[in-house]
Amino acid sequence: MKTAPRQIVAFGGGGFSMESGNPLLDDYVLGLCQAERPRVCFLPSASGDADHYIVRFYRAFSAHRCEASHISLFRREQGPSDLRRHLLSQDLIYVGGGSVLSLLGVWHAHGIDAILREAWESGVILCGLSAGSLCWFAEAVTGFHGAPQQLEGLGLLPFSNCVHYEPGSERREAYHRFLREGMVPGYAAEDGAALHFIGEELSQVVSSRPKARGFRLDVSGHRVVEMQIATTFLGEKGVAPEAPFPEALSTAVAPG
Amino acid sequence: MGPGPSLNGDIPSTAVRRVLALGGHDFTSRPPDRAVCELLLRLASERGGERPRICMLPTASGDPSEQIGRFYAAFGERACEPSDVSLFRLGRRPMELRDHLLEQDLIYVGGGSMVNLLAVWEAHDIASILSLAWRRGIVLAGQSAGAMCWFEAGITKSSGKPLAAAGLGLLPGSLCVHYNNEPERRAAYLAAVAEGMPAGYGLDDYAGLLFEGEGTPSAFTARRGARAYRVAARDDEVTESPLPARFLPAPAPAALREDIAEFRRIKTMRKRAGWLG
Repeated sequence: MKTAPRQIVAFGGGGFSMESGNPLLDDYVLGLCQAERPRVCFLPSASGDADHYIVRFYRAFSAHRCEASHISLFRREQGPSDLRRHLLSQDLIYVGGGSVLSLLGVWHAHGIDAILREAWESGVILCGLSAGSLCWFAEAVTGFHGAPQQLEGLGLLPFSNCVHYEPGSERREAYHRFLREGMVPGYAAEDGAALHFIGEELSQVVSSRPKARGFRLDVSGHRVVEMQIATTFLGEKGVAPEAPFPEALSTAVAPG
Repeated sequence: MGPGPSLNGDIPSTAVRRVLALGGHDFTSRPPDRAVCELLLRLASERGGERPRICMLPTASGDPSEQIGRFYAAFGERACEPSDVSLFRLGRRPMELRDHLLEQDLIYVGGGSMVNLLAVWEAHDIASILSLAWRRGIVLAGQSAGAMCWFEAGITKSSGKPLAAAGLGLLPGSLCVHYNNEPERRAAYLAAVAEGMPAGYGLDDYAGLLFEGEGTPSAFTARRGARAYRVAARDDEVTESPLPARFLPAPAPAALREDIAEFRRIKTMRKRAGWLG
Protein backbone atom coordinates (compact mmCIF):
# COMPACT_ATOMS: atom_id res chain seq x y z
CA MET A 1 0.00 0.00 0.00
CA LYS A 2 1.32 3.40 -0.93
CA THR A 3 1.45 6.08 1.72
CA ALA A 4 1.88 8.90 -0.77
CA PRO A 5 -0.51 11.86 -0.66
CA ARG A 6 -3.61 11.96 -2.81
CA GLN A 7 -2.87 13.91 -5.99
CA ILE A 8 -4.84 15.05 -9.01
CA VAL A 9 -3.51 17.11 -11.90
CA ALA A 10 -6.38 18.54 -13.95
CA PHE A 11 -5.34 20.01 -17.31
CA GLY A 12 -7.50 22.70 -18.87
CA GLY A 13 -6.31 21.21 -22.13
CA GLY A 14 -2.89 20.13 -23.34
CA GLY A 15 -0.42 17.29 -23.10
CA PHE A 16 0.14 14.88 -25.97
CA SER A 17 -3.55 15.02 -26.95
CA MET A 18 -3.45 18.68 -27.87
CA GLU A 19 0.13 19.86 -27.84
CA SER A 20 2.27 17.47 -29.81
CA GLY A 21 5.80 18.80 -29.72
CA ASN A 22 5.24 20.30 -26.29
CA PRO A 23 5.60 17.60 -23.62
CA LEU A 24 5.81 19.98 -20.65
CA LEU A 25 2.57 18.97 -18.92
CA ASP A 26 3.14 15.27 -19.57
CA ASP A 27 6.70 15.59 -18.25
CA TYR A 28 5.37 17.35 -15.19
CA VAL A 29 2.95 14.55 -14.22
CA LEU A 30 5.58 11.89 -14.92
CA GLY A 31 8.01 13.84 -12.75
CA LEU A 32 5.59 13.66 -9.81
CA CYS A 33 5.94 9.88 -9.73
CA GLN A 34 8.38 8.52 -7.18
CA ALA A 35 9.37 5.50 -9.24
CA GLU A 36 12.34 5.62 -11.58
CA ARG A 37 10.31 3.98 -14.32
CA PRO A 38 6.75 4.87 -13.42
CA ARG A 39 3.81 2.70 -14.35
CA VAL A 40 1.39 4.81 -16.37
CA CYS A 41 -2.05 3.63 -17.44
CA PHE A 42 -4.05 5.49 -20.07
CA LEU A 43 -7.85 5.50 -19.95
CA PRO A 44 -9.17 6.61 -23.36
CA SER A 45 -12.82 5.87 -22.47
CA ALA A 46 -14.05 9.38 -23.29
CA SER A 47 -12.99 8.94 -26.91
CA GLY A 48 -14.66 5.54 -27.25
CA ASP A 49 -11.16 4.01 -26.99
CA ALA A 50 -10.15 5.47 -30.36
CA ASP A 51 -7.21 3.53 -31.79
CA HIS A 52 -5.31 6.56 -33.07
CA TYR A 53 -5.49 8.13 -29.64
CA ILE A 54 -4.08 5.03 -27.92
CA VAL A 55 -1.24 4.93 -30.44
CA ARG A 56 -0.43 8.56 -29.71
CA PHE A 57 -0.38 7.86 -25.98
CA TYR A 58 2.22 5.10 -26.43
CA ARG A 59 4.26 7.40 -28.64
CA ALA A 60 4.24 10.12 -25.96
CA PHE A 61 4.81 7.77 -23.01
CA SER A 62 7.48 5.67 -24.62
CA ALA A 63 9.06 2.61 -23.02
CA HIS A 64 12.35 4.28 -22.13
CA ARG A 65 10.74 6.68 -19.67
CA CYS A 66 7.88 4.66 -18.20
CA GLU A 67 5.98 1.40 -18.25
CA ALA A 68 2.90 2.34 -20.22
CA SER A 69 -0.39 0.46 -20.53
CA HIS A 70 -3.97 1.28 -21.39
CA ILE A 71 -7.41 -0.06 -20.60
CA SER A 72 -10.02 -0.28 -23.36
CA LEU A 73 -13.42 -0.70 -21.79
CA PHE A 74 -14.84 -1.36 -25.26
CA ARG A 75 -12.50 -4.33 -25.73
CA ARG A 76 -12.32 -6.00 -22.37
CA GLU A 77 -11.47 -9.37 -23.91
CA GLN A 78 -8.02 -7.85 -24.55
CA GLY A 79 -5.93 -6.23 -21.84
CA PRO A 80 -5.87 -6.79 -18.09
CA SER A 81 -8.78 -8.84 -16.80
CA ASP A 82 -8.48 -7.61 -13.21
CA LEU A 83 -9.07 -3.90 -13.67
CA ARG A 84 -8.80 -3.09 -9.98
CA ARG A 85 -5.49 -4.79 -9.51
CA HIS A 86 -4.09 -3.21 -12.65
CA LEU A 87 -5.20 0.31 -11.77
CA LEU A 88 -4.10 0.11 -8.14
CA SER A 89 -0.63 -0.98 -9.22
CA GLN A 90 -0.04 2.19 -11.26
CA ASP A 91 1.94 5.29 -10.35
CA LEU A 92 -0.07 7.50 -12.69
CA ILE A 93 -3.48 7.14 -14.32
CA TYR A 94 -3.91 9.42 -17.33
CA VAL A 95 -7.44 10.06 -18.58
CA GLY A 96 -7.96 11.25 -22.14
CA GLY A 97 -10.44 13.74 -23.54
CA GLY A 98 -13.73 13.36 -25.37
CA SER A 99 -17.25 12.97 -24.08
CA VAL A 100 -17.35 13.28 -20.30
CA LEU A 101 -20.94 12.02 -20.15
CA SER A 102 -20.03 8.84 -22.01
CA LEU A 103 -16.89 8.52 -19.88
CA LEU A 104 -18.79 8.61 -16.62
CA GLY A 105 -21.48 6.25 -17.92
CA VAL A 106 -18.99 3.65 -19.09
CA TRP A 107 -16.85 3.94 -15.95
CA HIS A 108 -19.85 3.40 -13.76
CA ALA A 109 -20.92 0.34 -15.79
CA HIS A 110 -17.50 -1.24 -15.22
CA GLY A 111 -17.06 -0.12 -11.62
CA ILE A 112 -14.08 2.07 -12.55
CA ASP A 113 -15.40 5.05 -10.61
CA ALA A 114 -15.01 3.22 -7.29
CA ILE A 115 -11.59 1.85 -8.27
CA LEU A 116 -10.29 5.30 -9.19
CA ARG A 117 -11.31 6.68 -5.83
CA GLU A 118 -9.49 3.82 -4.17
CA ALA A 119 -6.43 4.42 -6.37
CA TRP A 120 -6.41 8.13 -5.49
CA GLU A 121 -6.73 7.37 -1.79
CA SER A 122 -3.82 4.96 -1.99
CA GLY A 123 -1.56 7.54 -3.66
CA VAL A 124 -1.86 6.76 -7.36
CA ILE A 125 -1.63 10.12 -9.15
CA LEU A 126 -4.68 10.89 -11.29
CA CYS A 127 -4.47 13.28 -14.21
CA GLY A 128 -6.11 14.12 -17.48
CA LEU A 129 -7.30 16.79 -19.83
CA SER A 130 -10.72 17.99 -20.85
CA ALA A 131 -13.17 15.20 -19.97
CA GLY A 132 -10.25 13.60 -18.13
CA SER A 133 -10.00 16.73 -15.99
CA LEU A 134 -13.69 17.44 -15.41
CA CYS A 135 -14.40 13.93 -14.21
CA TRP A 136 -12.58 14.33 -10.85
CA PHE A 137 -14.72 17.20 -9.60
CA ALA A 138 -18.10 17.30 -7.86
CA GLU A 139 -19.55 19.41 -10.65
CA ALA A 140 -18.33 20.46 -14.05
CA VAL A 141 -19.16 22.28 -17.26
CA THR A 142 -18.96 20.40 -20.55
CA GLY A 143 -19.27 21.94 -23.98
CA PHE A 144 -18.65 18.72 -25.84
CA HIS A 145 -22.24 17.94 -26.73
CA GLY A 146 -23.26 21.32 -28.11
CA ALA A 147 -24.45 24.08 -25.77
CA PRO A 148 -22.49 24.01 -22.49
CA GLN A 149 -24.19 21.95 -19.81
CA GLN A 150 -23.48 21.14 -16.19
CA LEU A 151 -22.87 17.67 -14.88
CA GLU A 152 -21.87 15.79 -11.77
CA GLY A 153 -18.44 14.18 -11.77
CA LEU A 154 -16.89 11.60 -9.47
CA GLY A 155 -16.61 14.17 -6.70
CA LEU A 156 -13.09 13.38 -5.50
CA LEU A 157 -12.54 17.14 -5.40
CA PRO A 158 -15.45 19.03 -3.81
CA PHE A 159 -15.36 21.86 -6.35
CA SER A 160 -16.63 22.69 -9.81
CA ASN A 161 -14.36 22.75 -12.86
CA CYS A 162 -14.35 24.25 -16.32
CA VAL A 163 -11.74 23.37 -18.96
CA HIS A 164 -10.74 25.16 -22.19
CA TYR A 165 -11.55 28.30 -20.26
CA GLU A 166 -10.58 30.71 -22.99
CA PRO A 167 -11.53 34.40 -22.78
CA GLY A 168 -14.88 35.08 -24.41
CA SER A 169 -15.76 31.40 -24.81
CA GLU A 170 -19.33 30.21 -24.51
CA ARG A 171 -18.15 27.79 -21.87
CA ARG A 172 -16.82 30.56 -19.67
CA GLU A 173 -20.06 32.47 -19.88
CA ALA A 174 -22.06 29.34 -19.08
CA TYR A 175 -19.83 28.51 -16.10
CA HIS A 176 -20.48 31.94 -14.59
CA ARG A 177 -24.21 31.46 -15.11
CA PHE A 178 -24.15 28.00 -13.48
CA LEU A 179 -22.24 29.46 -10.52
CA ARG A 180 -24.83 32.19 -10.09
CA GLU A 181 -27.52 29.49 -10.21
CA GLY A 182 -25.93 27.59 -7.36
CA MET A 183 -23.13 25.47 -8.76
CA VAL A 184 -20.49 24.82 -6.11
CA PRO A 185 -17.49 27.24 -6.44
CA GLY A 186 -14.42 25.92 -8.15
CA TYR A 187 -11.60 26.27 -10.63
CA ALA A 188 -11.05 26.84 -14.30
CA ALA A 189 -8.02 26.34 -16.51
CA GLU A 190 -7.13 27.56 -19.96
CA ASP A 191 -5.54 25.28 -22.55
CA GLY A 192 -1.96 24.68 -21.47
CA ALA A 193 -2.64 25.25 -17.77
CA ALA A 194 -2.98 22.49 -15.17
CA LEU A 195 -4.37 22.55 -11.64
CA HIS A 196 -2.33 20.41 -9.26
CA PHE A 197 -4.24 19.32 -6.17
CA ILE A 198 -2.65 17.63 -3.17
CA GLY A 199 -5.43 16.16 -1.12
CA GLU A 200 -8.33 18.52 -1.70
CA GLU A 201 -6.12 21.63 -1.69
CA LEU A 202 -4.88 23.35 -4.80
CA SER A 203 -1.11 23.12 -4.53
CA GLN A 204 -0.12 25.04 -7.63
CA VAL A 205 -0.99 25.89 -11.20
CA VAL A 206 1.58 24.95 -13.83
CA SER A 207 1.57 25.63 -17.54
CA SER A 208 3.05 24.45 -20.80
CA ARG A 209 2.51 27.84 -22.40
CA PRO A 210 3.85 31.09 -20.91
CA LYS A 211 0.46 32.81 -20.98
CA ALA A 212 -1.89 30.01 -19.98
CA ARG A 213 -3.78 30.77 -16.79
CA GLY A 214 -5.73 29.09 -14.03
CA PHE A 215 -8.56 30.68 -12.05
CA ARG A 216 -10.44 30.32 -8.81
CA LEU A 217 -14.16 31.10 -9.06
CA ASP A 218 -16.39 32.07 -6.19
CA VAL A 219 -19.81 33.59 -5.81
CA SER A 220 -20.39 36.64 -3.69
CA GLY A 221 -24.08 37.50 -3.50
CA HIS A 222 -25.14 37.24 -7.13
CA ARG A 223 -21.74 38.14 -8.46
CA VAL A 224 -19.17 35.71 -9.75
CA VAL A 225 -15.68 36.55 -8.52
CA GLU A 226 -12.96 35.30 -10.82
CA MET A 227 -9.45 35.37 -9.40
CA GLN A 228 -6.40 34.54 -11.46
CA ILE A 229 -3.97 32.18 -9.75
CA ALA A 230 -0.23 32.67 -10.10
CA THR A 231 0.98 30.16 -12.64
CA THR A 232 4.37 28.49 -12.96
CA PHE A 233 5.49 28.14 -16.55
CA LEU A 234 7.25 24.80 -16.89
CA GLY A 235 9.42 25.75 -19.86
CA GLU A 236 12.58 27.78 -19.99
CA LYS A 237 12.06 31.44 -19.23
CA GLY A 238 11.96 33.51 -22.38
CA VAL A 239 11.70 30.47 -24.61
CA ALA A 240 8.27 30.05 -26.11
CA PRO A 241 7.34 26.41 -26.56
CA GLU A 242 6.94 25.09 -30.06
CA ALA A 243 3.51 25.65 -31.53
CA PRO A 244 1.39 22.54 -31.57
CA PHE A 245 1.25 20.74 -34.90
CA PRO A 246 -1.98 21.43 -36.72
CA GLU A 247 -2.89 17.71 -36.73
CA ALA A 248 -2.94 17.79 -32.97
CA LEU A 249 -5.64 20.41 -32.96
CA SER A 250 -8.00 18.46 -35.15
CA THR A 251 -8.28 15.34 -33.04
CA ALA A 252 -11.45 13.90 -31.61
CA VAL A 253 -10.43 14.61 -28.07
CA ALA A 254 -10.72 18.36 -27.89
CA PRO A 255 -12.71 20.18 -26.81
CA GLY A 256 -13.90 18.13 -23.82
CA MET B 1 -44.30 1.03 -21.05
CA GLY B 2 -47.85 0.80 -22.32
CA PRO B 3 -49.43 1.95 -25.56
CA GLY B 4 -51.40 5.15 -25.88
CA PRO B 5 -50.41 8.79 -25.74
CA SER B 6 -47.20 9.44 -23.88
CA LEU B 7 -46.91 12.01 -21.15
CA ASN B 8 -44.96 14.56 -23.13
CA GLY B 9 -47.67 15.01 -25.71
CA ASP B 10 -46.23 12.79 -28.40
CA ILE B 11 -48.72 11.51 -30.88
CA PRO B 12 -50.18 8.14 -29.95
CA SER B 13 -49.04 5.64 -32.50
CA THR B 14 -50.86 2.70 -33.98
CA ALA B 15 -47.85 1.87 -36.12
CA VAL B 16 -46.60 -1.71 -36.13
CA ARG B 17 -43.60 -2.01 -33.82
CA ARG B 18 -40.76 -3.73 -35.60
CA VAL B 19 -37.41 -5.01 -34.46
CA LEU B 20 -34.89 -6.83 -36.63
CA ALA B 21 -32.39 -8.80 -34.54
CA LEU B 22 -29.31 -10.24 -36.25
CA GLY B 23 -26.97 -12.82 -34.76
CA GLY B 24 -23.97 -11.32 -36.48
CA HIS B 25 -23.00 -9.73 -39.80
CA ASP B 26 -20.92 -6.92 -41.22
CA PHE B 27 -21.30 -4.36 -43.98
CA THR B 28 -19.09 -6.00 -46.56
CA SER B 29 -19.77 -6.81 -50.18
CA ARG B 30 -19.95 -10.55 -49.48
CA PRO B 31 -23.25 -12.13 -50.56
CA PRO B 32 -24.77 -12.77 -47.09
CA ASP B 33 -23.96 -9.20 -46.02
CA ARG B 34 -25.57 -7.87 -49.18
CA ALA B 35 -28.64 -9.98 -48.45
CA VAL B 36 -28.90 -8.43 -44.97
CA CYS B 37 -28.52 -4.91 -46.41
CA GLU B 38 -31.25 -5.62 -48.92
CA LEU B 39 -33.58 -6.65 -46.11
CA LEU B 40 -32.72 -3.54 -44.08
CA LEU B 41 -33.41 -1.37 -47.11
CA ARG B 42 -36.71 -3.11 -47.80
CA LEU B 43 -37.90 -2.69 -44.21
CA ALA B 44 -36.89 0.97 -44.24
CA SER B 45 -38.68 1.53 -47.58
CA GLU B 46 -41.87 -0.04 -46.27
CA ARG B 47 -42.03 2.84 -43.85
CA GLY B 48 -40.26 5.64 -45.65
CA GLY B 49 -41.01 5.08 -49.33
CA GLU B 50 -38.50 5.63 -52.11
CA ARG B 51 -35.76 7.32 -50.12
CA PRO B 52 -36.02 6.04 -46.57
CA ARG B 53 -33.78 7.40 -43.83
CA ILE B 54 -31.42 4.90 -42.26
CA CYS B 55 -29.36 5.88 -39.26
CA MET B 56 -26.45 3.95 -37.81
CA LEU B 57 -25.64 4.02 -34.08
CA PRO B 58 -22.09 2.66 -33.66
CA THR B 59 -22.05 3.39 -29.91
CA ALA B 60 -21.33 -0.17 -28.78
CA SER B 61 -17.84 -0.09 -30.25
CA GLY B 62 -17.04 3.53 -29.45
CA ASP B 63 -17.95 4.97 -32.86
CA PRO B 64 -14.95 3.64 -34.80
CA SER B 65 -14.48 5.19 -38.23
CA GLU B 66 -13.98 1.86 -40.03
CA GLN B 67 -17.38 0.56 -38.97
CA ILE B 68 -19.06 3.81 -39.94
CA GLY B 69 -17.19 3.79 -43.25
CA ARG B 70 -18.41 0.29 -44.09
CA PHE B 71 -21.98 1.31 -43.29
CA TYR B 72 -21.77 4.24 -45.72
CA ALA B 73 -20.10 2.05 -48.32
CA ALA B 74 -23.05 -0.34 -48.10
CA PHE B 75 -25.80 2.28 -48.24
CA GLY B 76 -24.19 5.34 -49.79
CA GLU B 77 -25.09 4.41 -53.36
CA ARG B 78 -28.50 2.96 -52.58
CA ALA B 79 -31.90 4.60 -52.66
CA CYS B 80 -31.85 5.88 -49.09
CA GLU B 81 -30.50 8.65 -46.90
CA PRO B 82 -27.89 7.13 -44.61
CA SER B 83 -26.60 8.96 -41.54
CA ASP B 84 -24.87 8.09 -38.30
CA VAL B 85 -25.13 9.30 -34.73
CA SER B 86 -21.70 9.12 -33.14
CA LEU B 87 -22.07 10.07 -29.51
CA PHE B 88 -18.29 10.19 -29.06
CA ARG B 89 -17.96 12.71 -31.87
CA LEU B 90 -20.65 15.16 -30.91
CA GLY B 91 -17.89 17.63 -30.11
CA ARG B 92 -17.13 18.00 -33.78
CA ARG B 93 -20.61 17.37 -35.06
CA PRO B 94 -23.28 18.62 -32.67
CA MET B 95 -26.82 17.50 -33.55
CA GLU B 96 -30.27 17.40 -32.07
CA LEU B 97 -30.28 13.72 -31.16
CA ARG B 98 -33.97 13.38 -30.49
CA ASP B 99 -35.09 15.16 -33.66
CA HIS B 100 -32.62 13.29 -35.80
CA LEU B 101 -33.50 9.85 -34.46
CA LEU B 102 -37.25 10.40 -34.65
CA GLU B 103 -36.93 11.44 -38.32
CA GLN B 104 -35.58 8.03 -39.29
CA ASP B 105 -37.32 5.07 -40.89
CA LEU B 106 -34.80 2.54 -39.64
CA ILE B 107 -32.23 2.78 -36.85
CA TYR B 108 -29.40 0.28 -37.05
CA VAL B 109 -27.30 -0.43 -33.95
CA GLY B 110 -23.83 -1.89 -34.46
CA GLY B 111 -22.12 -4.52 -32.35
CA GLY B 112 -19.52 -4.20 -29.61
CA SER B 113 -19.90 -3.92 -25.86
CA MET B 114 -23.52 -4.26 -24.78
CA VAL B 115 -22.70 -2.92 -21.31
CA ASN B 116 -21.03 0.20 -22.72
CA LEU B 117 -23.77 0.65 -25.29
CA LEU B 118 -26.46 0.82 -22.62
CA ALA B 119 -24.32 2.91 -20.26
CA VAL B 120 -23.56 5.52 -22.93
CA TRP B 121 -27.19 5.58 -24.09
CA GLU B 122 -28.23 6.11 -20.50
CA ALA B 123 -25.79 9.01 -20.16
CA HIS B 124 -27.22 10.65 -23.27
CA ASP B 125 -30.83 9.71 -22.59
CA ILE B 126 -31.07 7.78 -25.86
CA ALA B 127 -33.07 4.79 -24.59
CA SER B 128 -36.29 6.73 -24.15
CA ILE B 129 -35.94 8.20 -27.65
CA LEU B 130 -35.45 4.74 -29.16
CA SER B 131 -38.42 3.40 -27.27
CA LEU B 132 -40.54 6.23 -28.67
CA ALA B 133 -39.16 5.62 -32.15
CA TRP B 134 -40.17 1.96 -31.85
CA ARG B 135 -43.69 2.88 -30.79
CA ARG B 136 -43.93 5.15 -33.80
CA GLY B 137 -43.07 2.33 -36.16
CA ILE B 138 -39.47 3.25 -36.84
CA VAL B 139 -37.74 -0.07 -37.45
CA LEU B 140 -35.12 -0.87 -34.80
CA ALA B 141 -32.41 -3.15 -36.12
CA GLY B 142 -29.01 -4.31 -35.07
CA GLN B 143 -26.49 -7.08 -34.84
CA SER B 144 -24.73 -8.66 -31.88
CA ALA B 145 -24.85 -6.18 -28.95
CA GLY B 146 -27.08 -4.08 -31.21
CA ALA B 147 -29.56 -6.97 -31.36
CA MET B 148 -29.45 -8.12 -27.73
CA CYS B 149 -30.05 -4.60 -26.42
CA TRP B 150 -33.74 -4.69 -27.41
CA PHE B 151 -34.47 -7.75 -25.24
CA GLU B 152 -34.82 -8.15 -21.49
CA ALA B 153 -31.43 -9.82 -21.33
CA GLY B 154 -28.50 -11.05 -23.37
CA ILE B 155 -25.12 -12.71 -23.01
CA THR B 156 -22.30 -10.24 -23.47
CA LYS B 157 -18.53 -10.42 -23.44
CA SER B 158 -18.34 -6.76 -22.40
CA SER B 159 -16.26 -7.74 -19.36
CA GLY B 160 -14.16 -10.31 -21.19
CA LYS B 161 -15.92 -13.53 -20.25
CA PRO B 162 -19.49 -14.14 -21.44
CA LEU B 163 -21.92 -12.94 -18.77
CA ALA B 164 -25.62 -12.16 -18.56
CA ALA B 165 -26.59 -8.50 -18.91
CA ALA B 166 -29.93 -6.70 -18.87
CA GLY B 167 -31.16 -5.03 -22.04
CA LEU B 168 -33.77 -2.32 -22.67
CA GLY B 169 -36.60 -4.84 -22.51
CA LEU B 170 -38.63 -3.60 -25.49
CA LEU B 171 -38.93 -7.26 -26.47
CA PRO B 172 -39.76 -9.96 -23.93
CA GLY B 173 -37.26 -12.74 -23.28
CA SER B 174 -33.58 -13.02 -23.99
CA LEU B 175 -31.20 -13.31 -26.93
CA CYS B 176 -27.79 -14.87 -27.47
CA VAL B 177 -25.84 -13.94 -30.61
CA HIS B 178 -22.92 -15.55 -32.54
CA TYR B 179 -24.50 -18.83 -31.47
CA ASN B 180 -22.55 -21.09 -33.81
CA ASN B 181 -19.26 -19.21 -33.59
CA GLU B 182 -18.72 -18.77 -29.89
CA PRO B 183 -19.33 -22.00 -27.96
CA GLU B 184 -18.47 -20.35 -24.63
CA ARG B 185 -21.15 -17.72 -25.16
CA ARG B 186 -23.70 -20.40 -26.03
CA ALA B 187 -22.73 -22.43 -22.94
CA ALA B 188 -23.10 -19.33 -20.74
CA TYR B 189 -26.54 -18.73 -22.26
CA LEU B 190 -27.75 -22.27 -21.68
CA ALA B 191 -26.54 -22.07 -18.07
CA ALA B 192 -28.20 -18.68 -17.55
CA VAL B 193 -31.54 -19.90 -18.95
CA ALA B 194 -31.30 -22.99 -16.74
CA GLU B 195 -30.80 -20.69 -13.77
CA GLY B 196 -33.83 -18.57 -14.55
CA MET B 197 -32.93 -16.06 -17.25
CA PRO B 198 -36.09 -15.54 -19.31
CA ALA B 199 -36.29 -17.95 -22.26
CA GLY B 200 -35.42 -16.61 -25.67
CA TYR B 201 -33.48 -17.17 -28.83
CA GLY B 202 -30.06 -18.16 -30.06
CA LEU B 203 -28.95 -16.66 -33.37
CA ASP B 204 -26.06 -17.85 -35.52
CA ASP B 205 -24.11 -15.30 -37.53
CA TYR B 206 -26.27 -14.43 -40.55
CA ALA B 207 -29.46 -15.68 -38.92
CA GLY B 208 -32.06 -13.18 -37.77
CA LEU B 209 -35.50 -12.63 -36.32
CA LEU B 210 -38.06 -10.09 -37.42
CA PHE B 211 -40.48 -9.08 -34.68
CA GLU B 212 -43.63 -7.39 -35.97
CA GLY B 213 -46.25 -6.30 -33.46
CA GLU B 214 -46.99 -8.72 -30.68
CA GLY B 215 -46.82 -11.93 -32.70
CA THR B 216 -44.12 -14.56 -32.80
CA PRO B 217 -41.11 -13.45 -34.81
CA SER B 218 -40.26 -14.80 -38.23
CA ALA B 219 -36.80 -16.28 -38.65
CA PHE B 220 -34.60 -15.83 -41.71
CA THR B 221 -31.10 -16.70 -42.72
CA ALA B 222 -28.73 -15.06 -45.16
CA ARG B 223 -26.24 -17.91 -45.27
CA ARG B 224 -26.88 -21.60 -45.85
CA GLY B 225 -26.59 -23.48 -42.58
CA ALA B 226 -27.09 -20.44 -40.33
CA ARG B 227 -29.91 -21.04 -37.90
CA ALA B 228 -32.17 -19.43 -35.36
CA TYR B 229 -33.12 -21.38 -32.24
CA ARG B 230 -35.83 -21.07 -29.66
CA VAL B 231 -34.11 -21.68 -26.31
CA ALA B 232 -36.22 -22.52 -23.26
CA ALA B 233 -36.01 -24.34 -19.94
CA ARG B 234 -38.28 -27.35 -19.70
CA ASP B 235 -38.24 -29.81 -16.78
CA ASP B 236 -34.72 -29.00 -15.56
CA GLU B 237 -33.43 -29.10 -19.09
CA VAL B 238 -32.72 -26.36 -21.56
CA THR B 239 -33.90 -27.14 -25.06
CA GLU B 240 -32.72 -25.59 -28.30
CA SER B 241 -35.25 -25.94 -31.11
CA PRO B 242 -34.25 -24.73 -34.57
CA LEU B 243 -36.88 -22.43 -36.05
CA PRO B 244 -38.05 -22.74 -39.63
CA ALA B 245 -36.26 -19.93 -41.44
CA ARG B 246 -36.74 -18.24 -44.80
CA PHE B 247 -33.59 -17.97 -46.90
CA LEU B 248 -32.68 -14.49 -48.06
CA PRO B 249 -30.90 -14.64 -51.39
CA ALA B 250 -28.16 -12.11 -52.00
CA PRO B 251 -28.75 -9.57 -54.73
CA ALA B 252 -26.02 -9.26 -57.30
CA PRO B 253 -23.61 -6.44 -56.51
CA ALA B 254 -24.81 -3.33 -58.29
CA ALA B 255 -21.72 -2.90 -60.42
CA LEU B 256 -21.80 -6.47 -61.61
CA ARG B 257 -25.45 -6.75 -62.39
CA GLU B 258 -25.14 -5.91 -66.08
CA ASP B 259 -22.19 -8.23 -66.57
CA ILE B 260 -23.91 -11.07 -64.80
CA ALA B 261 -27.05 -10.63 -66.86
CA GLU B 262 -24.90 -10.74 -69.99
CA PHE B 263 -23.05 -13.83 -68.76
CA ARG B 264 -26.33 -15.56 -68.01
CA ARG B 265 -27.68 -14.77 -71.46
CA ILE B 266 -24.59 -16.29 -73.02
CA LYS B 267 -24.81 -19.32 -70.74
CA THR B 268 -28.45 -19.88 -71.69
CA MET B 269 -27.60 -19.58 -75.37
CA ARG B 270 -24.76 -22.06 -74.99
CA LYS B 271 -27.00 -24.47 -73.12
CA ARG B 272 -29.58 -24.22 -75.87
CA ALA B 273 -26.90 -24.86 -78.41
CA GLY B 274 -25.75 -27.89 -76.46
CA TRP B 275 -22.25 -26.53 -75.73
CA LEU B 276 -22.48 -27.13 -72.03
CA GLY B 277 -24.12 -30.51 -72.10
